[in-house]
Amino acid sequence: MITCDLLVIGGGPAGISAAVAAGKAGLKVLLLEERERLGGQLTKQTHRFFGSVAERAGTRGIAIIKDLETVVAQLENVEISLSTTALGIYEDGVSTALKSGKMIKIKPKAIVVATGAFEKFLPFENNDLPGVYGAGAVQTLMNIYGVLPARRILMIGSGNIGLIVSYQLVQAGAEVVGVIEASPKIGGYLVHASKIRRLGIPIYPSCTIKKAFGQDRVVGAELVRLDEKWKEIPGSQFTVDCDAICLAVGLNPLIDLLGQSGCQFKYIPELGGQVPIRDESMRTNVPHLYIAGDLSSIEEATAALLEGELAGLSAAKQIRPGQSLEARMEEVKTHLRALRSGPVGEKIRSGLSKLTGEALPTPSPRTNAIDELSRTGIASPANLAGVLPDEKRKKTRAYAVIECYQQIPCDPCVHNCPFGAIKPFSDINDLPIVDFDLCTGCGQCIGRCPGLAIFTVDETRDGDRAKITLPYEFLPKPVREETVDLLDRSGKCVGQGVVKSVLNTPKQDKTTIVTVEIHRNLVQDVRQIRVVQKS
Amino acid sequence: MRISEHPILSFRQNKEVHFTFDGKEVTGYEGDTIVSALHALGIWKLSESPVHRRPRGLFCAIGHCSSCLMRVNGVPNVRSCVTPIEEGMVVESQNPRGDLYDHV
Ligand SMILES: Cc1cc2nc3c(=O)[nH]c(=O)nc-3n(C[C@H](O)[C@H](O)[C@H](O)COP(=O)(O)OP(=O)(O)OC[C@H]3O[C@@H](n4cnc5c(N)ncnc54)[C@H](O)[C@@H]3O)c2cc1C
Ligand code: FES
Repeated sequence: MITCDLLVIGGGPAGISAAVAAGKAGLKVLLLEERERLGGQLTKQTHRFFGSVAERAGTRGIAIIKDLETVVAQLENVEISLSTTALGIYEDGVSTALKSGKMIKIKPKAIVVATGAFEKFLPFENNDLPGVYGAGAVQTLMNIYGVLPARRILMIGSGNIGLIVSYQLVQAGAEVVGVIEASPKIGGYLVHASKIRRLGIPIYPSCTIKKAFGQDRVVGAELVRLDEKWKEIPGSQFTVDCDAICLAVGLNPLIDLLGQSGCQFKYIPELGGQVPIRDESMRTNVPHLYIAGDLSSIEEATAALLEGELAGLSAAKQIRPGQSLEARMEEVKTHLRALRSGPVGEKIRSGLSKLTGEALPTPSPRTNAIDELSRTGIASPANLAGVLPDEKRKKTRAYAVIECYQQIPCDPCVHNCPFGAIKPFSDINDLPIVDFDLCTGCGQCIGRCPGLAIFTVDETRDGDRAKITLPYEFLPKPVREETVDLLDRSGKCVGQGVVKSVLNTPKQDKTTIVTVEIHRNLVQDVRQIRVVQKS
Repeated sequence: MRISEHPILSFRQNKEVHFTFDGKEVTGYEGDTIVSALHALGIWKLSESPVHRRPRGLFCAIGHCSSCLMRVNGVPNVRSCVTPIEEGMVVESQNPRGDLYDHV
């Protein structure tokens, strides 16, 4: 029997954060991770994370996990056991796990469970054919094993996962034939939607899948349009050719282990389905049992890290009373509340109020400013007009155009302007506002925006030439003086331009910053370049 | 299909690992799971369902759904998505059903 103060089950961001917090508070911690590496979802995320800079947003998921691994490795009192699957949590406080085909028993004083989530499935004809994958499976194959499962992929679901995995598929060399969404609005952050629209990937709102075609594997799909009541519109079926269908229709917390422990659950769809009942300090109804991360509610890595820390601190407080951990615990709670305070946090807030029985929070004020954008993923002229400087300022110096129109909890841009030209946020859900008196158009912010939504424009010269600087994360990379295709917000080619500079040092961390000379009439249309493949 | 170049990631070409799939000699690389090696070779159908004999492929790739069960070195119901390939491994489709008694 192995003994320890705290057993942490699951080595994703939530579990690692719990282990670090408890380890720093002096607890002897054992961290179990089923896979052969730590990191959970983070190991597959090649994109820069949105969220709070304090929780490392603006950095790629794969880099965040390297940092976390270093931090946890420095704590001598935290032992990590990889390739170890927790099997059960028993009433007498003993847990069992499987390691190298052998069962081990652990008797900890407290447990933090942070097993993450599992993908939802969708009913449609032939949904069992090979070639129907969960989005996570596609990510695992392409980003961990370097294997592309298909060439032409249909994405089901326009939440952040559907949008981000579509982008990653294009980076890996696949074609995404479309993203379909049953709701009339795009579910994920609109910056991610715009990112794939300008690659030419169509998004079909009010649309669902009826069946997959194929004998031994998927060769196509039949789709159908839905009306406002989510009913199929007769005769609106259409077919697409594809060799894989990728499901990104949401996640369910992975609660199996807890079910056995006597933990109580509640069905709260806003949080992801059946979720463990817990208090604000992440404590369940079972004494000494805590939870954190996607297991407690489907959210983001920033929330997972904070909840993990809270769970670790709560456990430390219970096992080793007398330490002054309350101040930090309150700080973490405040940070979590701020994170969930914006319009996109509304679902989580209402879910949490069901959990705690608190009165429903007041809904965020609604505007219709982004209605069109949330149907199409393409900013309206009115959206754009709101973020540009006046005509006089346009002529004097280069300037940044931040095409971030939806309030999301994300703040890396503010922290990356060397001139302090992006106004400080009072709330992480604020929209970035550029002070054009301070902005020099230097472009330092471009590569740090997780939404890749920042561009700089230089129209100071006379004549019909102007320059646009944009982020580029594909292969082949453009080279100086090369002529490239210019794509607008829908991925349509609107002309050609000449590459004037390519910035690709380690500091850019693979987000190449490209400046292209283009016709001045196009500066507010061009948002993507395409390297012309030499035949 | 293996990804040869990637704008963010780099994939090391590891040592070759040889194994058999339904009697055919196939090759993957160290670090591959059975499924990643088979996918790279364009093999998507892993087994058939027990009753209706419908083709079965990968779904979750993290060992949680049982869509990828195969017979490995004679042992049925192995999750091929989380099982690393080994030199000389015998991998078979599992038809119609992976009963343990045909192993013992
Ligand atoms: C495509 C995609 C893009 C995302 N982008 C962002 C983003 O830009 N910004 C952001 O903030 N968030 C993002 N997220 C969300 C973020 O990744 C998750 O919210 C976060 O990883 C949740 O952390 P977690 O530790 O709760 O769970 P996970 O990361 O899922 O980790 C759970 C871990 O537990 C292990 N485990 C499960 N069961 C057991 C067991 N029985 N025994 C031992 N170990 C077990 C698993 O192997 C896994 O490693 C994204 C998610 C996806 C899928
Ligand atoms: S594909 Fe789900 S268990 Fe292997």
